[in-house]
Amino acid sequence: MKKSSRWIVDGADLSRRSMLRVGALSFMGMNLSRYLQAAPLASSSGATALPGKAQACILLWLNGGPSHIDMWDPKANSSFKPISTNVPGVQISELLPRSARHMDKLAVIRSMHTEENNHGMGHHYVMTGHRPNPSMKFPAFSSIITKEMGPREGVPANIIVPKIHPGYRNYYKAHFLGARYEPLEIPDPNDQGFEVPDLSLPDWLTVERMESRRTFLGVVDQLYRRKVERAEHTSMDAFRAQAWNMILSPAVREAFDLSKESEATRDAYGRNTFGQSVLIARRMVEAGSRFVTALDLNRPETGRDWDTHFGNDYQHRDYLVPVVDRALSTLLEDLEQRGLLESTMVVVTGEFGRTHDLNVGGGRDHWCHCFSVVLGGGGIRGGQVIGASDERGAYVADRMVTVGDLLATIYKAFGIDWTKEYMHPIGRPLKIANSINDETGTPIEELV
Amino acid sequence: MIMAPARRNRPFRANLLAGSLGLAFGLFLTLGPSRALAEDRPSSAEIVSLRLVPEQVVLEGAGASQRVLVLATGPDGLERDATAQAGLSISRPEVAGLGPEGKLVSISDGEATLRATLSGRSALAEVRTSQSGRTEPVSFITDITRILTRQGCNGSSCHGGVKGRGGFRLSSNAMHPAEDYDWIVRGGGYQVLTDQPRGPRNPRIDRQAPENSLLLLKPTMAQPHGGGMRFEKGSADYRTILSWIRAGAPYGRASGADPVIQRLEVFPQEAVVLEDGRYQVLVTAHFSDGRSQDLTEQVRFESLDREVLEVSSGGRVQGRRVGEAVVLVRAAGKVGHARFGVIRRTLDSFPQVARNNLVDEEVFDKLERFHILPSPPADDAEFLRRVCLDVTGTLPPPERVREFLASRHPDKREKLVEILLDSDEYVDFWTFRWADLFRIRLSAYDYWEWVRQSLASNKPYDLVAQERIAAQGAAGASKHLIRAGANVERVAAEQFRVFFGRRMDCAQCHNHPYDLWTQNQFWGLAAFFGRATNIGSGSNQVVYDDPAGQEQDYGEMGQTALVFKPVTHPRSRTRVEPAFLDGTVLAPASRTDQRLELARWMTDHPDFARATVNRYWGHFFGRGLVEPVDDFRLGNPATHPRLLQRLAEDFREHGYDLKHLIRRIVLSGTYQLSSRTNPGNREDGINYSHALPRSLEAEVLLDAISTATGVPEDFVPPGGEIYAYETAAPGTRAINLKFPASYRSRFLDIYGRPQRDSVGGRDNKANLSQALHILVGSTYNRKLGQPGGRLAALLNSRASDREAIEELYLATLSRFPADEELERLTGLVGSHPQRGEALEDLLWALITSREFAENH
Repeated sequence: MKKSSRWIVDGADLSRRSMLRVGALSFMGMNLSRYLQAAPLASSSGATALPGKAQACILLWLNGGPSHIDMWDPKANSSFKPISTNVPGVQISELLPRSARHMDKLAVIRSMHTEENNHGMGHHYVMTGHRPNPSMKFPAFSSIITKEMGPREGVPANIIVPKIHPGYRNYYKAHFLGARYEPLEIPDPNDQGFEVPDLSLPDWLTVERMESRRTFLGVVDQLYRRKVERAEHTSMDAFRAQAWNMILSPAVREAFDLSKESEATRDAYGRNTFGQSVLIARRMVEAGSRFVTALDLNRPETGRDWDTHFGNDYQHRDYLVPVVDRALSTLLEDLEQRGLLESTMVVVTGEFGRTHDLNVGGGRDHWCHCFSVVLGGGGIRGGQVIGASDERGAYVADRMVTVGDLLATIYKAFGIDWTKEYMHPIGRPLKIANSINDETGTPIEELV
Repeated sequence: MIMAPARRNRPFRANLLAGSLGLAFGLFLTLGPSRALAEDRPSSAEIVSLRLVPEQVVLEGAGASQRVLVLATGPDGLERDATAQAGLSISRPEVAGLGPEGKLVSISDGEATLRATLSGRSALAEVRTSQSGRTEPVSFITDITRILTRQGCNGSSCHGGVKGRGGFRLSSNAMHPAEDYDWIVRGGGYQVLTDQPRGPRNPRIDRQAPENSLLLLKPTMAQPHGGGMRFEKGSADYRTILSWIRAGAPYGRASGADPVIQRLEVFPQEAVVLEDGRYQVLVTAHFSDGRSQDLTEQVRFESLDREVLEVSSGGRVQGRRVGEAVVLVRAAGKVGHARFGVIRRTLDSFPQVARNNLVDEEVFDKLERFHILPSPPADDAEFLRRVCLDVTGTLPPPERVREFLASRHPDKREKLVEILLDSDEYVDFWTFRWADLFRIRLSAYDYWEWVRQSLASNKPYDLVAQERIAAQGAAGASKHLIRAGANVERVAAEQFRVFFGRRMDCAQCHNHPYDLWTQNQFWGLAAFFGRATNIGSGSNQVVYDDPAGQEQDYGEMGQTALVFKPVTHPRSRTRVEPAFLDGTVLAPASRTDQRLELARWMTDHPDFARATVNRYWGHFFGRGLVEPVDDFRLGNPATHPRLLQRLAEDFREHGYDLKHLIRRIVLSGTYQLSSRTNPGNREDGINYSHALPRSLEAEVLLDAISTATGVPEDFVPPGGEIYAYETAAPGTRAINLKFPASYRSRFLDIYGRPQRDSVGGRDNKANLSQALHILVGSTYNRKLGQPGGRLAALLNSRASDREAIEELYLATLSRFPADEELERLTGLVGSHPQRGEALEDLLWALITSREFAENH
């Protein structure tokens, strides 16, 4: 299918007026792709150009960098065999037998390319589309989606589970977008005494007591409120009202309450930190959250994450992949059963892939030049493979996809104008889908 | 002050000027107002004086022109732009013609007098024309760069951006015209990290068929242009570019002696307009050959706050809402600015305020000029709490509050400041502040000791900076060079951020898009660090400068080692020699300790003192004179440039004594104003007409809660084997932790303690977790009634309800409760069935109140 006709067919507006506008612009010497680049100017007056199906996103973050050739892009130089999936012609690694049965819901990008080969930098790069720059802070795409879609139902809109390493926290921040879009961190839901801190009344504190305190606060705060006004106060007032409602109303607390799930469901996601985090993610999306990041960090069993500089194969086979295979496949099934798959995007990635050759310790090292990212749900057309790596999974052989392209694809699925730019407080325009060389990313048209 | 529109409607003869200027004007032109601009005409009765700007008009060369302004002062003291309302006439119209909007155009050599009249008052200006027959050939350096600048082609969001646009790159604001010329005349696409252009070099001009030049086809949209239509085919700019290409596209004069703009003069430098008021900005360029020229129509204007002020492409300012904004003027290669205050009404009189020192002279003078009413002085309680928190990060205990409020000593505020500056808490608090700025992290505790000793001995700040920049061996300050991922460019950029208040990181990869700093300058400075290397491992590392510039590549596993290499320019791939900002290369003979050379140069540079006083100012006022405090650049001028200058000179003259600097600031009347606003200053956020409330930092707030409740915090290190964690003795205050981020603390986490992995990493904005923690979290709840705490002691004492309430107020808000508060609170406590619970709830309310969480 030709690119141009696809845009029109899939475009939001098939009315004659919009066709006329395209015509008029072409008349002015713009081609069709430029018309779409010019979209923010047109949309600034009103509606977004393209409506999206996605309403929420669950990001499965495999920290440390999963080995793409041992998972989504099987190669002869992997120790593992390829297996068939429920999509004819698409094969993935034998380590992912459960996901293979849901391939029709998933799209695999096998030609992902970024420019950062260190954990921190790479993590930042994938989450923001930018290299770190001490002069400015970049908002994460999770907070951008939260901002563009807006919070729902008084439920925390942006969530990270479990608690993130403080050094990584910066990669998930909203920064200048505003405090409303910052993520709320939730502790490990697989812990025995799992409880989201400060969400329920301690047993020594009653509602009456809280009311009494509010009465005192009303007196204490009065003079100062008359004296001083700050924007910060308005935002804190809103948070205090939200907090009050969250503590008094059961809805949010219940969303975090895993005991509401059957043992069978909890088992299906996997009785481990990541599995239960993904389950929490599904519960939160159901309750109204916009973006939930489920982190697969250092595993308690091994003390290690996906950074398999040694023993790559046994770690992937015995610990790393099975947990993700189980959680991901259960999530897809669960979302589908609940009718949430069409509106919930699932993204699976780490900061990069791993090297095609095993090192002397049987490990694989960092590799950002070509790796795989998996998308599903939220209107993404599954059962597809996008791009290709070379024979050894080392470099992009066909159709390089950048972080900017990935983000543009995700934004488009949400109906967010991916060509949008924010003005950073230091006065530099920031593309929300920033690609290599400061270009705007292009959505992968087969997927959205 | 809005006047009825003038109904005079004289013939408007502007179009006469638009045609050939060779046409002599035989008429004595008198131009009336244009209707559109007539609204802000002051009524005749209200004009006190009238003047013309400039008073002397010098027009050199054929068609030379000058915009003039007629300024009328009303009885309110406000000088308004009345050019549109005034009548203008010229004594000898054969010498110079008079166009619309006060534009004088040279016709023949001679002298004449320009007269402005309005409401019976008049003003005169001398006009002198010369060389009216001389025309200059069009050149790139003079004419084309101006067009590229005024049309916004080289703006930082277009081709002047870091990587240009559409493969075409220009230096922002034509700061590097020779490079721009090359990209246009020789062509090619810019690439960031190499000197090599991308793609074939197709010139953007066509000498054979000048009309087919890309430089003309693109901006007229004859070819698709992402930047849209910039000018019409046949417009003045079009014709200038065309004739330039036809003339062979010369860079400059054949002699090479092109006069360059040395200085931009912007009039007014500052002015005040009413909310709907207007004002024309005039821009004069002063050239290297001594000439000057009106450049108003050849520059680009930009309002830095368009909510407050709009500016037209011709430089006409229009007030929008009350506030203050800068109009930035970009001429080819130069930036200037005008500052405008927008006010609702003028002040009838400015209150008598004590001017304690140079701070007040500058701040109050500006408030008076800008018709902003300062708040009254802060009362003793407000001052006490503010200065204690700002100087020591510590709340005053109730006894000290009572004592200070009761004292009738006339110098009690001065005495208090001296006591605070001599206190241990001063050293504690500023060590904490510096540890943030200097990024003291794990395993760098001797670095922390060095900071603490420096503050305890009040070491002159230039010496502190020198010790840090030039640190050698195992000395504490050398630790800042040894950090995971440290490299030359990061270390160099950080020195300039910390000590010069400049963000140089942008200049690593490209010329700074908003400033004069070039990539070459940056790498010349970075090269001073190119010999630094280290031996040893873990906490036993030693830094030294290796004369050979030892090259080591520890690769991915070398994260504990410094990976300095001889500095290579990322674009040219050549070895960079250490060079100062002006390009002077450090002589090889002086390179035994080249970082010390850099350190001395830096601390002698005026930017060092300016950046330091601005950083301190920002701490005490919640806003820098340049804001953000470490973002000095051309496009971000100081709100009070003379104050910044005087404060910096004062700091230097007093031997870079930080305590002296603090005294200057906190003993000023400006610092001691109340935070209570009045209708005349509510909208002011940048002129210090009232104190700006600021959120307490996480560590300070936590300490304040501990002090107020009388229950200290126990800090628990997370344990683990990798690092040698410090352990804090029970009762240690948060500001005394060497690296607060290394402790488990939900409170510090949600109130935004920084990880110190970058300068300025603190984010203490309000968030949901804070709101939840306030309601049910341990910090705000567990401490309230704890045995041994303040409340427990109070309940065991014989204090009455009233005394107890007072004591809790003093311990938290550092003031006595107001009568209305006391009355309502005694009522609430008295009617509560459980006295202990009631007081506990009151204490909770006090420590979760806004007033407690802020310094105001």
